[in-house]
Amino acid sequence: MRPSRYVKLLWLTLLFSLSAPLAWAAPQPESGYSFPRDASVHGHRIDWLIEITMVFCIILFVIMCIWMALAVFKHGEDHEAEYDHGDTKHSMYVAFSLSAIIFLIVDGNLFYWAVKDLNEAFWAFDDAYAAENHLKVEINAHQWAWDFRYAGPDDVFNTADDIVTLNDFRVPVDTPVIVQIASTDVLHSFALPNFRVKMDAVPGSITQLWFQAKRTGDYDISCAQHCGTNHYKMKGQISVLTQEDYDAWFRHATRVSELAYDPEDESAHWGWTWEKL
Amino acid sequence: MDLQPIHPDPTNFWKKYVFSTDHKVIARQFLWTGLLFLALGGFLAMVIRYQWAFPDSRAIGPAEYASTFTMHGLIMIFWAITPALIGCFGNLTIPLMIGARDMAFPLLNMLSYWTFFLSAVLIIASFMVELGAAAAGWTTYPPLSTQVGTPGWGQSLVVLAIFVTGSATIMGSVNYVTTVIRLRAPGMTWGRMPLTVWGLWLTAILNVLFVPVLAAGGLLLLLDRHFGTEFFIAGAAATTGAGDPILFQHLFWIFGHPEVYILILPAWGIMGDLLSFFSRKPAYWYKGQVWAMVAVTVLSAIVYGHHMFTTGMNPLLGQTFMLLTLIISVPAELLFLNWLHTIWKGSIRLTTPMLFFLGAVFVFGLGGLTGIFLGTISTDLYLHDTMFVVGHFHFTMAAASLLATFAGIYYWFPKMYGRMMSETLGKWHFWISTVTITLVFTGQMVVGYAGQHRRLYDPYQYTFTAHLDDMNFWTSIAAFAMAAGQIPFVLNWFSSMVAGRKAEANPWQVGTLEWTVPSPPPHHNFDVLPVVVRGPHEYANPDVRAALGRDWIGQTEDLPERDPASGGTAVEAASA
Repeated sequence: MRPSRYVKLLWLTLLFSLSAPLAWAAPQPESGYSFPRDASVHGHRIDWLIEITMVFCIILFVIMCIWMALAVFKHGEDHEAEYDHGDTKHSMYVAFSLSAIIFLIVDGNLFYWAVKDLNEAFWAFDDAYAAENHLKVEINAHQWAWDFRYAGPDDVFNTADDIVTLNDFRVPVDTPVIVQIASTDVLHSFALPNFRVKMDAVPGSITQLWFQAKRTGDYDISCAQHCGTNHYKMKGQISVLTQEDYDAWFRHATRVSELAYDPEDESAHWGWTWEKL
Repeated sequence: MDLQPIHPDPTNFWKKYVFSTDHKVIARQFLWTGLLFLALGGFLAMVIRYQWAFPDSRAIGPAEYASTFTMHGLIMIFWAITPALIGCFGNLTIPLMIGARDMAFPLLNMLSYWTFFLSAVLIIASFMVELGAAAAGWTTYPPLSTQVGTPGWGQSLVVLAIFVTGSATIMGSVNYVTTVIRLRAPGMTWGRMPLTVWGLWLTAILNVLFVPVLAAGGLLLLLDRHFGTEFFIAGAAATTGAGDPILFQHLFWIFGHPEVYILILPAWGIMGDLLSFFSRKPAYWYKGQVWAMVAVTVLSAIVYGHHMFTTGMNPLLGQTFMLLTLIISVPAELLFLNWLHTIWKGSIRLTTPMLFFLGAVFVFGLGGLTGIFLGTISTDLYLHDTMFVVGHFHFTMAAASLLATFAGIYYWFPKMYGRMMSETLGKWHFWISTVTITLVFTGQMVVGYAGQHRRLYDPYQYTFTAHLDDMNFWTSIAAFAMAAGQIPFVLNWFSSMVAGRKAEANPWQVGTLEWTVPSPPPHHNFDVLPVVVRGPHEYANPDVRAALGRDWIGQTEDLPERDPASGGTAVEAASA
């Protein structure tokens, strides 16, 4: 990209932010040491699974600690050790069944719910496509920013009416959003902590994720995969808008994009024909 | 006996201390090098913690920061834990514990150390070149690790160093595998081998199988960096190659997942033995522990995909890897139950090594349990690449392996140097280290649970983690305390080496073979090769107590009297 194009892009970004119908509010700070607030329809599934497994783990860990403490305090030097190789059928049976029971409860629970959650929510792309109002967005990750591409009024990607934004991701509430992700340089990972999802951006291939916002507000987009010196600055913002606000922004952004479209600027046409992956 | 002639002692200084083929000298060389790199890696860790505690100080810039965490990870794994835990204890204990006069290939053993030394020179050199050392993370993912992301010689030298140290590891491991198979003393059946040797042997097998994969990946990466190939550079919009960066991740993790077990299996083995020795009680279900370790070894080879859940992996493949990963909890739980049963109803001696082993069980409990969140695809969607991951693998690979390494040092120091280490300083070292190490990695898990991603120069840039600065600050304080807590160890190490109490042959009163020879052992270890008659864990045996008046019996010792009434002794029944 030539420097003049950078300047143009900067001006456009400025134009976007000043004239957008909804002011670019700062995300709300979090507090405490639990998960950041959940803005997604499906995030609670992950939260619950982590929390319940954490409860299991804490119980097991406490039992282990008590066991060790009792052994150390009760069976110290004064205690005469018991001669037991633990290789009787009975003790083997006990050890093996205990392991199996813990496995079936803790890991079994994890596996069951993980598969269920993936099939019903996080991998249920068919359901997302089936929703009439679903939104498709293409993302180009590069050092150290996120480009977003909306298909525009014609619903076809990489055409003149596409909306292209920098680090500014706007989505309507209660709408399945399907994103496809590419990278032009190194690996990145598109992470939405408030939506409990992330997906790597891999040069040479297109990856996907989908989510659905359940409340309006502004949240951080984070890069989760080390991508070089300024990895820590690869931050974007996702704004969840009401349908009316989103439509207003969409009309406005379409006009700006039409003005900004430059058929000769090949590097600006990084989009691709959308195909179901 | 032709296999193991008695070589004459070396007389020349160079052959005795530098280019020695004696496994005991090589063990000490690995230990010294490992401890020096532990100090360097620890220093780098403190730099990272300083940055997170004082992000506005700008003591280092983001580029130096990326180098720091990259080199911290690589140095700790390949140049600190590997030489100390595998290089030192493997060399020291395998021949002594199985009753051999040396390794199967003493010359290869020497070459292994000096190849490793060359890699150490390369890694140090990488700090001194223009643009600094490697900065693509210890995982060295391309394209970042190609010239696209990290130009300069630093990254190349580091990849080369990994390749060279990998060669050293393969030499050592071939030696371990062969020695255990070929040079066990008469009577040292597989079922009588100390668990320490089992752990080290299984580790060596994993090394022989999987380090070459890493070496291949590293070599291809070097070709990409300097010879214009494009194995890992993909054809995206901005580039024109036809390779695949994900291919490197497969190669890396085919090695990388076994690697985490490579670093913990020796510790598990040593723990299985020593929890028994210091509880004065037989190891609980010896065969179960062996099979559990074998099962983990096998499973470790087929679960690596859980590191790549977020790369857009095929769902069926992902679910398969998830199931296999979770299955590892079965043998791991079995091991835990066996350790807990081993110390139950024992007669526990809280010596420094025992304390460190109990500490290792404690932190490994934390590390092991938190792994299941990351082996599950849906929970990993949120936790992947967060500090939760960092806390988890530090609890297993760093905390558990490190505490076990320290335990091993305190335990075998008398055998290596002929002197005892100070128990007082050792206990100070234990309490400070274990408490602070737990705090540090718990702090990491807490901020990770709250969403903080790893490898961030300034984590407070993000709104959702801006409030975590306090927790990170206190975690850093705990880390600095942990570093300070190593002072008693350094004092202990040097003062004991010079002025420690002289160690007798068997200061801990245990029955494995290394304690039947003087401390330190002669060059050829055993004047007469021992004949083994029983397993390594014969403690609290009432017959032994009646016959010998002590609670243990060596692996080579016969009971002087038999009890005709029961048709033999309980010892024989147990070792049968």
